[in-house]
Amino acid sequence: MKRTFLVLVAILAGVSLMIFAAKKIKPSEANNSIGALRGAPAPDFALKTLDGKTLKLSDLRGKAVLVNFWATWCAPCKIETPWIVDLQNQYGGQGLQVVGVSMDDESDTEDVKKFATEMHMNYPVLRGTEDVGNSYGGLEFLPTTYFVGRDGNVTGRVLGLKGRGDMEDNVKKALATKDSTTQTAQK
Amino acid sequence: MATFERMTRWSLAVLAALGVVALGLAAIVKVLSVQAQELSPGKTGGPSVSLVSAPLPSIARGEPGSVDLRFHIASGYHINSNQPSEEFMIPTALHMDATTDIVIGKIYYPDGQSVAFDFAPDQKLSVYSGTFTVGVTVRPLHTVPPGKYAMRGALKYQACDNRACYPPKQLPVEFEVRVIKAPAAHGHRPAQSPHAHT
Repeated sequence: MKRTFLVLVAILAGVSLMIFAAKKIKPSEANNSIGALRGAPAPDFALKTLDGKTLKLSDLRGKAVLVNFWATWCAPCKIETPWIVDLQNQYGGQGLQVVGVSMDDESDTEDVKKFATEMHMNYPVLRGTEDVGNSYGGLEFLPTTYFVGRDGNVTGRVLGLKGRGDMEDNVKKALATKDSTTQTAQK
Repeated sequence: MATFERMTRWSLAVLAALGVVALGLAAIVKVLSVQAQELSPGKTGGPSVSLVSAPLPSIARGEPGSVDLRFHIASGYHINSNQPSEEFMIPTALHMDATTDIVIGKIYYPDGQSVAFDFAPDQKLSVYSGTFTVGVTVRPLHTVPPGKYAMRGALKYQACDNRACYPPKQLPVEFEVRVIKAPAAHGHRPAQSPHAHT
């Protein structure tokens, strides 16, 4: 009886380990390194805007941030850009800040400027780098959008083109977060 | 009796063990499948374009010849044609390395298929999907010794699926050309056609 009990305990321990391992499997090991960021602090970056200024993600702490990775050659990006422009208009007053990160080649700055103008982008457009792309999981495809809460943590992401509703739901979720550092400072 | 009880206990233990292991495996499979779903639309490995056939043409020295390169695009993906319908789209283009023995001439691309995708039902894009053939005109110089010659280049393309686009890629392309001696000239020239231009 004692031996049976020990065997069962050993099996249970083994299975618990398996379940733990399954949960801990890094997304990169499942060909998906992007999901690792959910709930984690958004990787900070400092990138140049189209007019040469530098924008740092961490400077937007306290706001909900929609980080949209896109490129001029990406047809689905062109479809969702008007939705993002609308979201900035609709939720900007509540603390949403959209940031567009163009992953076009460095030499395509004029195309990026033209695209941004034609699409009436009403938010900062940054020139992305490979390093920043890698810090956000490698950006295997575009569009890829991350949502960052007021506390600087990633609250969600949208991979590829989905509906405007998906974007909006994620924006609301990011806006609902609280910036704990600001609250602590206020106390 | 004691042996029977022991066997029953062991059987129960083994059954319990199998059940719990199955649960564990199910948990692993579930986690992996959720992650795989999240990865969508990027299918693992991303889009691929490959050179599926390149015949070995025999081309006479000093004469132009054509090589048809057949490419295959992985199912579920498309790439822009050589003449994209939209501004900013990256055209599919073959760039051949220059060689000293064989002149690369005009490169012929097929017309794109005009297709509307889920992400923009009202907008048709000019794309290739499935297989497509690019023709390369080559002309070995008169001075080239007969034999096989390797030609190298790269196909630049940018692929998308129904929901996302992938960064531009370069596919290395290599094929061979067999250079042969020009056919011996005839002893006398045939009568010139009255329609021939000189």
